[in-house]
Amino acid sequence: MPPSIHPVDLVTALRHKHLTPAIVFLTSRRACDEAMETFDHADLVLPPARQEAIAVALERITVQHPSIAEHPLIPIVKRIGVAAHHAGHLPSWKIAIEELMRQGHLDAVFATTTLAAGVDFPARTVVITQSSIRKSRDFTDLTIGEIQQIAGRAGRRGKDHVGFAIVTPSPYIDLTVLTKGLTGQPEGIDSQFTISYPMVLNLLKAHPHEQIQGILAKSFAQFQLNQRAELLEQKLDALHVQMEPFGPRVCTDWITQWHTFDHARRHRHTRHHTHRSESPEIVARLPFLTPGRVVGLSRGHGIVLRQYRSKGQKNSMLTVLRPDNAVTECPVTSVKEVYDRTYDCAETSTYPWCSTEAFDRLSHQLEDLPPRLPVLPILVSPGTESLPDAIVQSLGDFPCPTCPSRPACQKDFITASRLRQEQQRHTKSIQALRTSLWHRFQERVDVLQKFGYLTTATQLTADGEWARLIRIDHSLLITELIRAEAFAGADPSLLAGILASLAHDDDRPGAFPRISPGLSSLLGQVRKLAESLSPYEDPPLLRADVAALVERWIADPSLTWIGLCRLTTMAEGDIYRLLARTLEFLSQVQALKSTHPGLAESASQAITLIRRGVLEELP
Amino acid sequence: MNTDELEQLLAQQPVALLHRLARGRVHRHFRAGKRRLIELLLQHSIHNRAGLESDLQTLIGERHSRSEAGSSPVHRSPTIAHKKASPRGADPDSTETAVSLSAWLEGLGVPSPQPFVPDPWQSEALSALNETDVVISVPTGSGKTYVAVEAAHRAMEDNRSVIYTSPLKALSNTKYTEFCRIFGPEKVGILTGDRQENGQAPLLIMTTEILRNLLYDAASGEIDIRLDTLGLVILDESQYLADPERGVVWEETIIFCPSQARLLLLSASIGNPQDIADWLTSIRSTACRLVRHSKRTVPLRAGYLHPNGKLTPLFRTLGIPYGHPNQLHPEAKRLFLEYEEETLPAGRPRR
Ligand SMILES: Nc1ncnc2c1ncn2[C@@H]1O[C@H](COP(=O)(O)OP(=O)(O)OP(=O)(O)O)[C@@H](O)[C@H]1O
Ligand SMILES: [Mg+2]
Repeated sequence: MPPSIHPVDLVTALRHKHLTPAIVFLTSRRACDEAMETFDHADLVLPPARQEAIAVALERITVQHPSIAEHPLIPIVKRIGVAAHHAGHLPSWKIAIEELMRQGHLDAVFATTTLAAGVDFPARTVVITQSSIRKSRDFTDLTIGEIQQIAGRAGRRGKDHVGFAIVTPSPYIDLTVLTKGLTGQPEGIDSQFTISYPMVLNLLKAHPHEQIQGILAKSFAQFQLNQRAELLEQKLDALHVQMEPFGPRVCTDWITQWHTFDHARRHRHTRHHTHRSESPEIVARLPFLTPGRVVGLSRGHGIVLRQYRSKGQKNSMLTVLRPDNAVTECPVTSVKEVYDRTYDCAETSTYPWCSTEAFDRLSHQLEDLPPRLPVLPILVSPGTESLPDAIVQSLGDFPCPTCPSRPACQKDFITASRLRQEQQRHTKSIQALRTSLWHRFQERVDVLQKFGYLTTATQLTADGEWARLIRIDHSLLITELIRAEAFAGADPSLLAGILASLAHDDDRPGAFPRISPGLSSLLGQVRKLAESLSPYEDPPLLRADVAALVERWIADPSLTWIGLCRLTTMAEGDIYRLLARTLEFLSQVQALKSTHPGLAESASQAITLIRRGVLEELP
Repeated sequence: MNTDELEQLLAQQPVALLHRLARGRVHRHFRAGKRRLIELLLQHSIHNRAGLESDLQTLIGERHSRSEAGSSPVHRSPTIAHKKASPRGADPDSTETAVSLSAWLEGLGVPSPQPFVPDPWQSEALSALNETDVVISVPTGSGKTYVAVEAAHRAMEDNRSVIYTSPLKALSNTKYTEFCRIFGPEKVGILTGDRQENGQAPLLIMTTEILRNLLYDAASGEIDIRLDTLGLVILDESQYLADPERGVVWEETIIFCPSQARLLLLSASIGNPQDIADWLTSIRSTACRLVRHSKRTVPLRAGYLHPNGKLTPLFRTLGIPYGHPNQLHPEAKRLFLEYEEETLPAGRPRR
């Protein structure tokens, strides 16, 4: 046991200073249960009148919730006025404890931090023993918001003048995390928007494809992405101003020109040498063939919209704007001339690869071009093996050595090229921020088309029509199972068992020795399918023990709650939650009445069979 | 640093620092005692010794700068701990005296019953709700429920229906009981993943997921609950927007909330409520009003309880010194350092 205050001492100290009622937040359910055990023989007993009051209150609650009658903690609650409250308990127990607390009967409740959010459960004092909590298998520091939610339980309006948040150390504590949390500003909310398959199906059911981008733009995610994009745009504006002195000189794109020249001069090789399959002439051109560049093709001029590499093509490819708004794709080799003229044009990630305004402007500019344009002199860097002599020689062909602007270019190059790189980086980031949601949506659409839930025209197929009603985790796996007729002829207990293994995402151990051969083989089939879907959807845990447990509960109506609990090491609260989650999944399957009447019927039978005993008693 | 030196250096550190170092390195490090923790850290560092050493140095550095930032001299030995810390002139904090335990415990008790008067922020939120959507961000326990109940009341008097959502089934059930008591059971219904009662009632309580599903069904034209008379949608515990798994459901719900219904978002204190309000303004037909404050209605005090039962204020000030995490009470600081020393596994007897 870690060195921390003994629960009995804690309650004694709190009572002594009139700091009760208190909620004591502990790291784990186990710690709460162990704390309860320490009260077994404690002599902190309440005066008889209060014991009596608790007994009466408990009796009243038991009428509504008979399942708490036999709860092992009742003697301690009655005698000492302390209780444990955590996710391992049945909801009825938690309701009872909350009610006793509200009525002011208890002095201390030992709870896990799950209590911190939302449950209306205030006290005079909150005791904090930890600075981190277990989140998906790892411990993470509590956030400022969480610490304030926890501490905020202290001090009841109308019942207390002051509330107390008391820190008591344990090895789980980092005091600075807590002091920062108590005194700090809570964190801002960051959007956690994700695009799920059912979301895509439901959106496309109700809205035409072209409207979806506008709908996604209404998300808080896009709102926050826009905020970031706007910041970058401000930076971009500032960069634009800084770039002013570095505009066109003797050649319009002197920065790239100097860059190439400088590299050659220093006997370095430009990065484009990696494209081994391309001739040095082509390689030397690549850095100039950027969006906005005017080029000569076999027939007339064109403006480059983007440069890209395509799988089947040996050479880099260009998308070029031709007269009459034609957009064509061609390999760089078909470029006859690279002209010393560029226009403003920022590449975008979708056709026509620039904004519509830029597109219109460029087509006008293209129309207005004179028939003859200055050709850009491009130095062809020699191949890797060439001698320095060759470089020096070819430098003579370069315009820079004799150019009047050379000293200025040389002086300004470092600053100008850094600024331009920043501009390009920001432009790319802004693009990504503006379009990322839409891309994620498209990715989902691709998968749904591949599996036949959507047509190529993004209409819902017959399968898509019903699949959109499954709006739970692992929806793709569930709908694929239904299409594979995995549940055909399966009785309600098998169906519920499988759905339970899909619904249960807790890795706390449980144990159940026997699983029926039918369920076992069906689960094998589900595992295989889940495995094959793993590129598109994270596979569920698919625990056989929880599947078997739920199967048993349904298949054997004479099984009592106590009997069920004895079959596993899972806590009552976990079993309850497992069954409640299974009910949720079943009710989604039940919604498929019109397309899958047999399956829906099986689901509704399972629902009826699950609801008995404790599950019926509870709200 | 060789292994022995590293081991020694580790052994000299308080266990809390070792736990921080172990984070992300050692699985389930919280289960380990100090000696075991050192062993595990050394084992782990076989592959990345430099990383461990540099993180260790950073943590040690942070710790030193932290104790320097504090105000009183640090007593390393418990034997001299009872001596009062002498204030140093150079330190701005030390001129203020720290609050005493008795002052800290003073004033505790039960206030005499007061007639119910709505807080100004509650009235402000209610009147704003006549015109626009409202986002409320106030500390826990301030009285958001009153606004929800009152707003629901007004909408229902106007023959408009109300939906109230909460993130947790348990909370939905509690509110169901509470609202049945306030409005009468015939006026209230509940829909959760596994419970459906009185689905045609004018005030419906549901989990946010269920509302999201309803809105999807409404968008595609098939629905069994009438949304055209919907006048008010209350989203309680809206800070769930930030939940990694479920936050998206709040966004979907807000995006698809019918435009004729007012939205009322209730949230605990969060850092950027203005952003939420601006977002709503940008997507809804009326400008959203933000009602926020960060002052707790029942003031909060923080204390430190030593494992030996000794209680002291945690901060030098009576209330919580917002914005000043370093204003630790000298006594709390001394006791905590003592605690860290004592939890060394070096076989020192524990008191
Ligand atoms: N104006 C008021 N005057 C006095 N007491 C009030 C007032 N408003 C609310 N209360 C009381 O304050 C207590 C807390 O209210 P409530 O549960 O609504 O808080 P909350 O803001 O919803 O907190 P949480 O963050 O825990 O959800 C209740 O007991 C309520 O009766
Ligand atoms: Mg509330």
